Amino acid sequence: MGGSQSTPKITAQDRAILDLKLQRDKLKQYQKKIQIILDREHEIAKQQLAAGHKDRALIALRRRKYQEGLLVKTDGQLESLEQLVSTIEFSLVEVSVLHGLKQGNAVLKEIHKELNVESVERLLEETAEAREYQREIDNMLTNNLSLDEEDAVQAELKELQQEALHAQRNEETPLSLPDAPTAEPVSSEQGVLRLILLLASLT
Amino acid sequence: MNLSTYKTASGFLLPSIHSAPPFFTQQPNTATQAGFTEQWTRLLLAYARHRRLFTLRLEDAEVPGGEWDEVLRNPRINRRLMPNHLAHVLDVMVSKDLAVYEPAKQMRAVLLYWRSPDEWADVLHEWATNTGQLNTILTFYEISDPPVPSALSGIPESLLRGAIAVLAKSGRAQLISISDGDGVRFFPPRTK
Repeated sequence: MGGSQSTPKITAQDRAILDLKLQRDKLKQYQKKIQIILDREHEIAKQQLAAGHKDRALIALRRRKYQEGLLVKTDGQLESLEQLVSTIEFSLVEVSVLHGLKQGNAVLKEIHKELNVESVERLLEETAEAREYQREIDNMLTNNLSLDEEDAVQAELKELQQEALHAQRNEETPLSLPDAPTAEPVSSEQGVLRLILLLASLT
Repeated sequence: MNLSTYKTASGFLLPSIHSAPPFFTQQPNTATQAGFTEQWTRLLLAYARHRRLFTLRLEDAEVPGGEWDEVLRNPRINRRLMPNHLAHVLDVMVSKDLAVYEPAKQMRAVLLYWRSPDEWADVLHEWATNTGQLNTILTFYEISDPPVPSALSGIPESLLRGAIAVLAKSGRAQLISISDGDGVRFFPPRTK
């Protein structure tokens, strides 16, 4: 994995920001040191007072006061440093926003170049022309049939219609089925007799 | 002999083996000693993680009053880990990459790897991501001494450098050096 080619280059800006932040860290460390001195002087003053050296305790307290003043001053410096860092970082964000807007604008322009009013009009015109042309072709194709052929087509249509009509009529005529016998079935002797009679009448 | 776990003042639960007197003595039998060393390794790393301790010195076994007293000493059975025994344990730990001699070329102090540099790299990158500090230049001081304690508070610089080196290899971080000191910039992981 070549990690180096995709990481951005370290610019002078980056170095400046890092420098500022390192200065800020130094101030913070300095404050920590002063805070420790403050606590120590307080402790010294207490010890001296306990030992009865009032003047020495006073000196320690004076030193403490002075260091306290320094602490307040560094607070102010720290604030302005941090403000500067924040401003720079915010400006960098603004720069990247601007860059994004620029690119978006360029893309939009590129798109508009292909999408100007003239070409849209031309395209619509061409479409209309093409449709007109298609209609002409359709007309030509339908008119191409000769009169005889037209007649033949019509005759075929009629025949088809007739066939359909015929089929419909066939469906409509009811089936004539023989009725079921209503007379009582007769015994076999009588039946034979009647059959003979029937045959005789037929001949 | 009453073997039981013991909760220290810092809230760490010592295993029951810690109240066994032989555990504190170097064993002549190598197999037994290897088992004890293993137990000590685990105990030391667990305690280091619990109290976020990064270094362990032979001095901690020699003089009482250090941060390691709760583990290296057991006043309840009147035992303590002897410095040469600790030296042996540390030697094994270094050979297993669970610690390194820090500074190098001496054998009296180690930097404990209760997280390996790879694991620290992940913790570091996660922290940068979660605190919205990707693509921002950070100083080492800012990472190891944040105003609000983080997972990285107090991380030794050598460990931090190691973690950054791991991230730099995969393109997730970049070390920036100027005359006044070093800084680092983190990047979102590349999806490939």
